[in-house]
Amino acid sequence: MNALPAALVPAMPHLLAGDPTSSWAELATATRTVGDRLRAAGVETVLLLSTHWFTVLGHQVQCDDRLRGRRTDENWYRYDYGHLAYDVTVDTELAHRWADAIDADGMQARRTRYDGFPVDTGTVVASQLLDPRGQGRWAMVSCNLYADPSAMAAVAAAGMRAAGQLGRRLGVVAVTGLSSGLTGRWIDPGEDRVEDTHDRWNRKMLDAIRAGDREAVLAMSPQYAAAAQADSQFRAFAFLDGAGAVDRPGEVLAYGPVWGTGAAVVWWGEPTESRET
Amino acid sequence: MSRVFHLPAGSTRSGARRAAASPSGPGPAAAPGPGPRRGGIVAGYLAPHPPHLVYAENPPQNEPRSTGGWEVLRWGYEELRRRLRAHRPDVLVVHAPHWITMVGHHVNCVPNPRGVSVEPIFPHLFRYHYDFRTDVELAEAVVEEGERAGLVTSALREEGVRVDYATIGALHLANPDWDLPVVSLSANNNPYYYSDASLGEMETLGAATRRAIERTGRRAVLLASNSLSHMHWDTEPDLPEDMAAEHPFSHEQYAGDMELLQIVREGPTSRLKDAIPRHIGATASETKAGSLTWLLAAMGWPEVAGDVLAYGTVIATGNAVVEWVAP
Repeated sequence: MNALPAALVPAMPHLLAGDPTSSWAELATATRTVGDRLRAAGVETVLLLSTHWFTVLGHQVQCDDRLRGRRTDENWYRYDYGHLAYDVTVDTELAHRWADAIDADGMQARRTRYDGFPVDTGTVVASQLLDPRGQGRWAMVSCNLYADPSAMAAVAAAGMRAAGQLGRRLGVVAVTGLSSGLTGRWIDPGEDRVEDTHDRWNRKMLDAIRAGDREAVLAMSPQYAAAAQADSQFRAFAFLDGAGAVDRPGEVLAYGPVWGTGAAVVWWGEPTESRET
Repeated sequence: MSRVFHLPAGSTRSGARRAAASPSGPGPAAAPGPGPRRGGIVAGYLAPHPPHLVYAENPPQNEPRSTGGWEVLRWGYEELRRRLRAHRPDVLVVHAPHWITMVGHHVNCVPNPRGVSVEPIFPHLFRYHYDFRTDVELAEAVVEEGERAGLVTSALREEGVRVDYATIGALHLANPDWDLPVVSLSANNNPYYYSDASLGEMETLGAATRRAIERTGRRAVLLASNSLSHMHWDTEPDLPEDMAAEHPFSHEQYAGDMELLQIVREGPTSRLKDAIPRHIGATASETKAGSLTWLLAAMGWPEVAGDVLAYGTVIATGNAVVEWVAP
C-alpha cells in the first residue's frame, strides 16, 4: 500500500453500548473495519488526534509508555458505556521525536507523562474499536482549542516528519464528531437523530470528502463550524490534511446520529478486504 | 488565537431592561455580627479557579511545587477566607464550569469524594489529592427542586468520576481546611461544540438551589467558580509563575472586565442581568458557563453592591474575587 492510511472516527462512547441503536452499531462496526484495514496495511503506529482531549496551552504529546486505567465518564456514568477500561501502548520514541519536531517548528510541545492522567473518552473509544486486542501502538496529541485551526495541520506535519525519521509505517486517525446539536435530555436511543440543518451540512461536507475535494472541505470548514457547530471547528480535518492524508477521495463507511450529534467513519487509502475481529 | 466559544449567551433578555445606575446606590451589605444564626444563603462569592492559584500556594494536597506568583489574587482569597469564616456557614455550594455535563445539570451526591485530580489541561500545575464530604441531603434536594422546576437533572452517585479542577480550585481557595461539607453542581454546556450555558436555565437552577437550601434549613455560602474575560495565551513561559509574562490579553478585555466590575461595585445586582451577557459578548467571559448567573439568581438578585476583593490576570484571563452578602 502506497497511500498513507488515514481515518476519521467518532468520539462518543455510545459506540460501545451493550445494546446499541442501529446508528451506534453501524458506526462501531465501521470503526472496527478501519482497524482491520490499518492492520492489513501493516501500520506500526497510529498518529492520533482526539478532539475530546482538548487543551489550551501548547500541544500536549502523550509520553507515558502505557496508559492503563478505568474511566467513568462525568456525563454518561448512568450507562454501561460510561464505564470504560483502557490499556493503550504509546510509541514513546515517536512521541518524543514528535514533540521535538513541534518545538523545532516554533510551536510549543508539552510532553505529558503523569500518573493518573485522565485519558479522554474519545481516545478510549477509538482505541478499543480500532484495536480490540490491544496490540497496536499509538502516538497521541491534544487538540488546542485556542490555537488557530491551521496549527493542527502543522502539528500533524511535524508528526509525519518525526515518523519518517524513525522509518515508522504510519496510520493517521482523527477522533471527532461532526455537527453538534446534542440532545439535551435523556432519550430512548431509538429517538436519536441529527437535526435537519446540521444533517444537510454534514452530508455536504461528506460529499466533498467523498469527491476528494480537500480544498472545498477546508474552505467550507469555518462556515460549517458556525452553521453546524462542528466539533472543535472541524480541526480534525485540518489535522488529517496536515498529514497529507486527505488529498484523495475518502470512503464514507458510516454516518449517523449519536445523541443528536453527527458522527461518521471515513477511510482514506486503498481499501482492503475487511474482516471482523 | 481563536475563540473557543462562538455562540451568543443563552439569555434572551432584552438589553432594554438595564436598571438605572446610581453612584449613590447600594453599597456592600454589612458582614454578619455575632448574633443568632439564621438559615438560607448568607453570602455568595465569585471565586475563580485558575489552577495557577492553587499551584502558587503550594498546599500539601497538590503535587507540583512553585515559587509563588499571582499574589494579589491570592491575597484577595485570604480576605475571602476570613469573611467566609465569619459567616459561619453549614455548607459550601459550588457551581463550576469544568464539570462539563452534556445532558442536564448534575449534582454530586457521593458522600465522600476522594482521589487525585490530574488536570488534563494543566497537569504540570494541578495534581491535587482531594477528600471531602458532601452534604448529601442538600445535594439531593437540589436535584429534586431542579426537576420540579422543569430542568433536566441527574444525581451523580458513581464514585469513580474525577472531580474537576474548577470545583476543587474554588473550594480549596475559599476553604483550604476543607472542614465544611460541600454541594457541587455541574455546568451544562459543551465546549466541544461551542455552546454556552443557557443563562435562563441558570436562573431556574439558582432559584431551585435557593429553595433546596431553605427547605433543608441550611446556612449556605455559594461559590461561582468563574473567571471573567477569557481570551488567553495559547503557550506559557518556561516558568509558569513568571509574572513578567502576566498581563491582560488586550485593552478591550481589561476594559470589559472593569466595566462589569464597576457595575458590581455600584450595585444593585439586578443591573448585572444585562451586564453579564454583554460582558460575555465582549470578552468571551467564562461566566458564559453560567455560574455567576446561578449564584445571583440563587441569592434573588439582591439589592446590594458587591465587594471586589481582588482582580488580576492568569495567563491573560481576567479574574476577580467578589463578595455579595445577603441583606
